[in-house]
Amino acid sequence: MLDTSSFGEFIRSYFLWRDPMIVGAVSGAICGFLGVYVVLRRIVFVGAMLSQVSSFGVALAFYLQGFSALSLFQSLIDPFALSLVMTGAAALFFALNREFFRISQEGVIGFGYLLASGIVVIIADRITHEAHDIADILFGSAVVVDPKEVYIVPAVAIVAILIHWIFFKDFIFVSFDPETARLFKYPVRILNTVLLLTVGVVIAVTTRALGALPVFALVVLPALTALFLTEKLNWVFVLAVLIGILSAVLGYYFSFILSLPTGASITTSASLFFLLGVIWQQGRLLSRSKFG
Amino acid sequence: MDSSFLIKFEDVVIGYDKRGLLDSIDLSIQNGQFWGIVGPNGGGKTTLLKTILGLMPPVKGKVQYGKNHPLIFGYVPQRENFDHIFPISVAEFVAMGKYIRIPVGRGIKKEDWKIVTECLEKVEIPHLRNRLFRSLSGGEKQRTLLAHALAGGPDILILDEPTASMDIKGETAIMELIGKIKERDNLTVLMVSHFLNIVARFADHVVMIDKDDEFFSSGTIEEVFSGETLSRVFGLNVTVEQVTDKIRIYAGARGSDKKT
Repeated sequence: MLDTSSFGEFIRSYFLWRDPMIVGAVSGAICGFLGVYVVLRRIVFVGAMLSQVSSFGVALAFYLQGFSALSLFQSLIDPFALSLVMTGAAALFFALNREFFRISQEGVIGFGYLLASGIVVIIADRITHEAHDIADILFGSAVVVDPKEVYIVPAVAIVAILIHWIFFKDFIFVSFDPETARLFKYPVRILNTVLLLTVGVVIAVTTRALGALPVFALVVLPALTALFLTEKLNWVFVLAVLIGILSAVLGYYFSFILSLPTGASITTSASLFFLLGVIWQQGRLLSRSKFG
Repeated sequence: MDSSFLIKFEDVVIGYDKRGLLDSIDLSIQNGQFWGIVGPNGGGKTTLLKTILGLMPPVKGKVQYGKNHPLIFGYVPQRENFDHIFPISVAEFVAMGKYIRIPVGRGIKKEDWKIVTECLEKVEIPHLRNRLFRSLSGGEKQRTLLAHALAGGPDILILDEPTASMDIKGETAIMELIGKIKERDNLTVLMVSHFLNIVARFADHVVMIDKDDEFFSSGTIEEVFSGETLSRVFGLNVTVEQVTDKIRIYAGARGSDKKT
């Protein structure tokens, strides 16, 4: 039951949730920001595919670590590094697919998601002793955050924001009007690749920290909600960041005080914001049709 | 050497993926001319346009550009080419037309917004600057697209079906505006259109193209628009009449000479 004593207990347990909360809030902010591109480009399931590929990378690293023949390469088979490389490769393939392979975008997303999901389940079955770690990767954990992630997630977020700060106008241009961008001799292919690589790397890093399900939710739902709330593009980015942060923070809070699974709690918080966004938009449309 | 042309095709083969669609194209576009590009659906108009724009290399031959090279193209695509999920305002949309002169990695400066305002004034919609592009009517969108094309300070304005799905009032208004801007800014205009009478009224030169019939003809309106060639290309009985200083084109039902 939620009451003021729960809140007091939560505050007193500051040392327990500080790190996960920082990582969650930063992940919510950067996923919310990049999610605007994902939603506007109508590739929302890229978020699901990349977070699943990231999980695949982590699970594969755990699996490979179990082979004594690979002991020489143990330091190289790092779950974080492998998930980063695999997610980056998947993002790169997706960015270049349209020009080189011409497989439908939906086809690539579906294939990537299903292959990664299938292999994660197979690997999880093989390495039962790490099953708990794999479950954390997929669904997130409220209290267990690797201390280095408190630095890695904000560092990656800062680099991604810097890239997007510099190329903001260009990323919007190639997303909205690639035909004219090509005519203007803009490096459309390179810009698209950089944009998707930032999405891929951020998803890889945040999936390791939060889990695949909440990362997918944070990529898609805050951006969709922001599009319900405002019709100004710059504000869509600002609101998506704020809603991403709030979804993560409230998700952690309710997970902590109600002992809920964290990933599911973050996903539900983001979904509630989405529902509020829908109600807000419907109310606005209704008042417009009534009064003007 | 003739250097008065802006764009010149000499024995050029256009096509894509190394497959030629149409051979031996000769075409010379001079500064200040208004060209119409007409032909049946799938006749090769878009391929020709993309070759002119440099988006598609010719299969054979070389496209030559005059002394103004590199040319700045002001491209007015079809109105329905844009995804309405983007909350892009009219001013933001017009500013994108200026990107041809703004390098990658540089943001939009104050002076760029001044040009946006000037372009919106040129197309007579300064009051719409904060409206969403997706919420505009067809005519308003066309004016916004025109302002977008003008924002880069083009040498050539390229229009792709500027009057498609417009009523006669909107069609006349947009074409008169294009004519006015062309004269004031001394622009060269290339316009792809299915409306032969619009082309005959506003353009001074025309390209008629049909790859299936291996037909290509270019010249003044009077040279190209004859009843015989139009009937051949469009597979209809087409009659051409002189009305004051312009020609009018009447298309009859297939196999009849009923005027419409």
